[in-house]
This record gives sequence, C-alpha cells and structure tokens, in this order.
Amino acid sequence: MTGQTSNNWMPGWIQRVWIVLKKELRDHSRDRRSLTLALVYPMLGPLLVAGGLLLAGKTLQGDFREHAVTVPAVGIEHAPQLKTYLENNNVRFSTAPPTRQAQEDAVREGRLAVVLIVPQSADGQGAFTIELLTNTGRVDNLRVTSRLSAIVRGYNDHIADQKALAAGLPTGYATAVKIARVNVARDANIAVFFYNMVPPLVIFMIFLGGVHLAIDTTVGERERGSLEPLLLAPVERWVLLLAKALAALAFTAVTTVVNLGAFRVFMGLAASSSDRLVAPPGWEVFAVIFAVTIPLMAVAVALQMSVAVITRSMKEAQIYLGLLPLVPALPGMVMVFSPMNPTGVTVAVPVLGQMLLINQLVGEQALNPQHVLIASLTTLLSAALIFLLAAKWFRREKMFVLG
Amino acid sequence: MIEINNLTKRFDQVQALSGLSLTAQDGRITGLIGPNGAGKTTAFRIVYGLLTPDQGCARVDGVNVAEDRMLAQRQLGVLPDVRGLYPRLSAREHIRYFGQLHGACGVALEADIDELIARLGMSDFADRLAKGFSRGQELKVALGRALVHRPHNLILDEPTNGLDVMSSRAVRELIAEMKAEGHCILISSHIMSEVSLLCDDLVIVAEGRTVASGTPDELRSEAGADDLEEVFVRILARTSAKAEAAQ
Repeated sequence: MTGQTSNNWMPGWIQRVWIVLKKELRDHSRDRRSLTLALVYPMLGPLLVAGGLLLAGKTLQGDFREHAVTVPAVGIEHAPQLKTYLENNNVRFSTAPPTRQAQEDAVREGRLAVVLIVPQSADGQGAFTIELLTNTGRVDNLRVTSRLSAIVRGYNDHIADQKALAAGLPTGYATAVKIARVNVARDANIAVFFYNMVPPLVIFMIFLGGVHLAIDTTVGERERGSLEPLLLAPVERWVLLLAKALAALAFTAVTTVVNLGAFRVFMGLAASSSDRLVAPPGWEVFAVIFAVTIPLMAVAVALQMSVAVITRSMKEAQIYLGLLPLVPALPGMVMVFSPMNPTGVTVAVPVLGQMLLINQLVGEQALNPQHVLIASLTTLLSAALIFLLAAKWFRREKMFVLG
Repeated sequence: MIEINNLTKRFDQVQALSGLSLTAQDGRITGLIGPNGAGKTTAFRIVYGLLTPDQGCARVDGVNVAEDRMLAQRQLGVLPDVRGLYPRLSAREHIRYFGQLHGACGVALEADIDELIARLGMSDFADRLAKGFSRGQELKVALGRALVHRPHNLILDEPTNGLDVMSSRAVRELIAEMKAEGHCILISSHIMSEVSLLCDDLVIVAEGRTVASGTPDELRSEAGADDLEEVFVRILARTSAKAEAAQ
C-alpha cells in the first residue's frame, strides 16, 4: 500500500486544495510568461505615470518671481514704460523672427514659446493693444503666456492706480472687484492629477496579474492533454478549480504588491526631483490600498476562471481575458476627469466601490469603515457567486471531452 | 474486476455507444479492439468517471462509477492515449503529485516513487523537467503516474503507441508482470501482434457495441482464420453485412 496522508487533523478537501495549489505555484514559478506578467508588467504603468510626473515637474520647476523668462519681442521700444515694468518682473527680451509668418511658424512648431508684439501705434499712447502669439496646445507655451498676461494685468492695475492718485482718487478705484483665490485642495499641484491615475491602473493590473495562470491551468491543460489525467485522480472538480483559482489569486496578489510598490517608489522619485511637486501618499496608504483591493482580486480571478473554463481554446480565452481589464478600468478613467463621491450605494457596486475607496486613499482622505465593509462584502459575495458558476461549468463533459 | 453493462452514450448527433458490455477479470489481460470511432475511448472515459452514461453502468471492483466516482478512481490506474505531461515538472514531481492526489505522502510515498523509477528505468531522467522528453520517456512518466497508488485495476489506452522496439518490449514485460501479480488489465490497441502476444481475452467493438468476445483461440475458431488481424477484419465485415441486411 502506498504511504498514507499524515495530516489527518485537516479536512481531506483542504489537503487536496493544498496539493494542487502547491503544484500550480511550483509549475508557474518556473514559467517565464507568468513571472513576466507578475513582476515586470506591473512596473510599466508606474513608470509611465512617474515619467509624466517628472516631465511636469521639470516644466513647473522654479518660481516666476525668482526666475527670468526670455521673450522674443517685436516693437517693445514703442512702449518703454511697459518694457521697464516687464523687466522689473524678471522678463528679458530677445530678437524675434523678422516676419509675421516666421514668428507664427516658430511658435506653432514649438521653437519659441511665445512672441510679444507691440504695435508702432503704441508710441506715446496711454492705451494700446499688444499681441501674444502663443500655442495653447503646448503646456510650456501656456505657462509663459499665462505669466506674461498676469504681469501685463499687473501693469494695467499699476497704471490705473497712478491715474487714480493723479485724480485724487484712492488706489484700486478703477478695479471694481478683485479676486483672491484660496485653494483648499491637498495642493494646487499637477502631481495630484497624476496620483489620480493610480486607481484605474491598479485595477487594470489586478485584472491582468493572474490571467495567464487562469488560462494555462484550465483551457491550457485541456489543450495540452494534461486535464484528463488530472481528472482521473480522486479529487472533487470544485476542489481542483478552487486550488487553481487560489494559485491565480496568489499571482494576482504578487502583481498588485509589485504594482503598488512601483507606484510608490517611482512616483516618490519623480516628485522628489522638483520642489513644485507634492510627494505621493506614504507606504501606509499603499498598504491600505492593497488590503482594500483583496476582494477585488477575488472577483478578478473568479471572472478569469469562469471565462477560461467556457472558452474552447487558449487563443479564444486570451482574446476575451485580454479585453476584460479594460471594462473595470473604464469607470476609473472617467473618474480622473469627473470625480464621484462614495455613498452606501455606490460602494456596494463591485469594482466601483474599490475604485472610490482607492480614490479616497490616494487623495489622503479618511475612509468610512462602513463603506469599506459594504464594498468588501458585496465584492466577495460577487466573487463567490461567479466562482460557483465557473465550478458548475467546470463539471460539464464538454469542458474536457468535446472541446 | 471491471464490468461494463449495456452502456449507451450520445453526443449531440453522434451515437458513441449503443449497449456496450464486457467484463475484464482479475489476473487476466482483456483487449478492447475496434476500428477508429468504435467507442473504445468513450467506454474507457465512462469507466474512469470522466463521462456519465445515458444508460447502463460501469463497475470497478463492484463500485458503480456513476454513484461513487472517487472510490472507483482510487482502485483504477489509467494510461490515457494522450500522455498530457506538465512541461515544467520533472518526472519525479509528476509521480509525486499524483501519488499525493491519491492520498499518499511522506517517506512511504518517496519509497514508492523510487521503486517505480527503478522499475520503469527512469533513473537517468527522473529529475529532469518533462519539456523535451521523448515519447518513450513520456510514456514511462505517464505509467509511473498511473501506478503510483498501486491500483488493482489498470486501463491502458494504446500503451505502446509511438514507442521503439525496445521500449515496446519493456512495456509488454511490465504488463505481463502486473498480470502475474493478479491485476485486472484492460487495454486498447491497434497493434494486432501486441494484442495477440498479451491478451487472454478479446472484445471486438464496432459502432458502439460488442460484436464478438472470447479468448483469441475462440475468436480464431469463430472467424475461421489463424491470423488475428484476419479474424478482426472478418468479424467486422460480417457485422457490416448483418447491419446492411437488417436495413
């Protein structure tokens, strides 16, 4: 007789789950595709976001009041008072291209950020119109244009005050309403925009991390012919599927850890390169994000298994499961531009609930424990129902015989 | 002992089995032979619990497979036609995995694995990953996987398919040893010389049912031919003629 199981304290089905789970983990830890998907792919999103953040930091680097900006100007000598005012505000002048067409081309093509044109008619006049040739499609142009406009508005206020004083009126007389902006956001910072991209990208990776394993251990086994020998072993079908799902879940968890860690490291490095960028949330926030997304990982794996067991080939499964991550990531991308507030109802929707919670965490807002509970329970329940459906399909004769 | 009683099975438009019956006795090798599409693989899949019959039943040592699949599977060792190995597991890991799935573990299991590796001549590749194995090596791993739990009943589907002469001979010797140990062995093969050498009983299947059965000598006498291949051809021709006459 063969050696018998020694872990008698453990229910038999748990022992069988553990045996299959161990085999799948060993098998796929030797698989380059599974490892690439778990360890390399999750770096790509964070690298892209951090790259964007780095560029934004370089664009924003420095303070207008401290750093001079050089503006190609035409006819600035016609407005000497404006010229002096601009120079006092750290604006320097350079020679602009000789013709109007050359000036517009240079700005359009990005060779010059802006060209300032003062008409000859400004000579000796108190009021005149200047032109700023700009290209609003470029962030760097927008920044210089915005700075020049603000200085010229300051010049206008300065002249208005001088005229008011000359007429015996109080300063500010010509300006009926002044605006003082008070920003209550975490920071008036471009970095926050980039941090808001984290939730959809994290969710995208969650739906991608275990996908190769889900396909390879189900429809892949059938294609290779190894499923039939496996089904000859005295093991419940649902136990086999559960063990395979747990293996996919383990790979998804590793993917998510790498993904979140890469976001924190790369974004932290990018943010530290500029004094104009606010730092990303701390490691403790990323740890909470991981915890909050565990039920989402379960849903992702359950969906992957259910699709994988009903498809006829690995190729077919790859097509469907390749598209799957886009669906849950879509609401996240929408929320980057149109934020939604979490409520008891919205957090109860699987995927959306986690998206809202991660958004709150990235925004360094406190989570409502009730929302966390609702989101986790509804998502885990969904995962269980989807898995039961997959297990039912896994028992079908067509799964392993007719293909 | 493996008993198949009046099995019928239909897949959509295809009637795979139409009342197939046979018995494979302990200590004997029973050969299931028939043309492609005769229903041999479907019958095997019902015996090892992969398919459920529409009618009839299969029993392994008296256990109705449809009623207690897992108990029946514990008493069965199966070598399917498609060997289906995991390319990233070694030969030893394959055998260990299936031993564990059958409830074995620990020192006793490792001793059984070592014994199988020696018996099947796998020592020089036992710890190599299965990717790149020759067909003979694949077959040995699949046999080790089927035998690790020391089943009393064996189903071997095309056991020497694709093997060279030496490997085929080694497999035949192993099957003969298992018979001598009292195992019930049910094999399927298209190689008549092998069937002739190995089998104590033969069951000829066509169109999903048994058309002839008995010892090789009984079938030779029934068909009036000495060569087993000729016996097979004559019995099939007779069956076809009867079917046409009935229509």
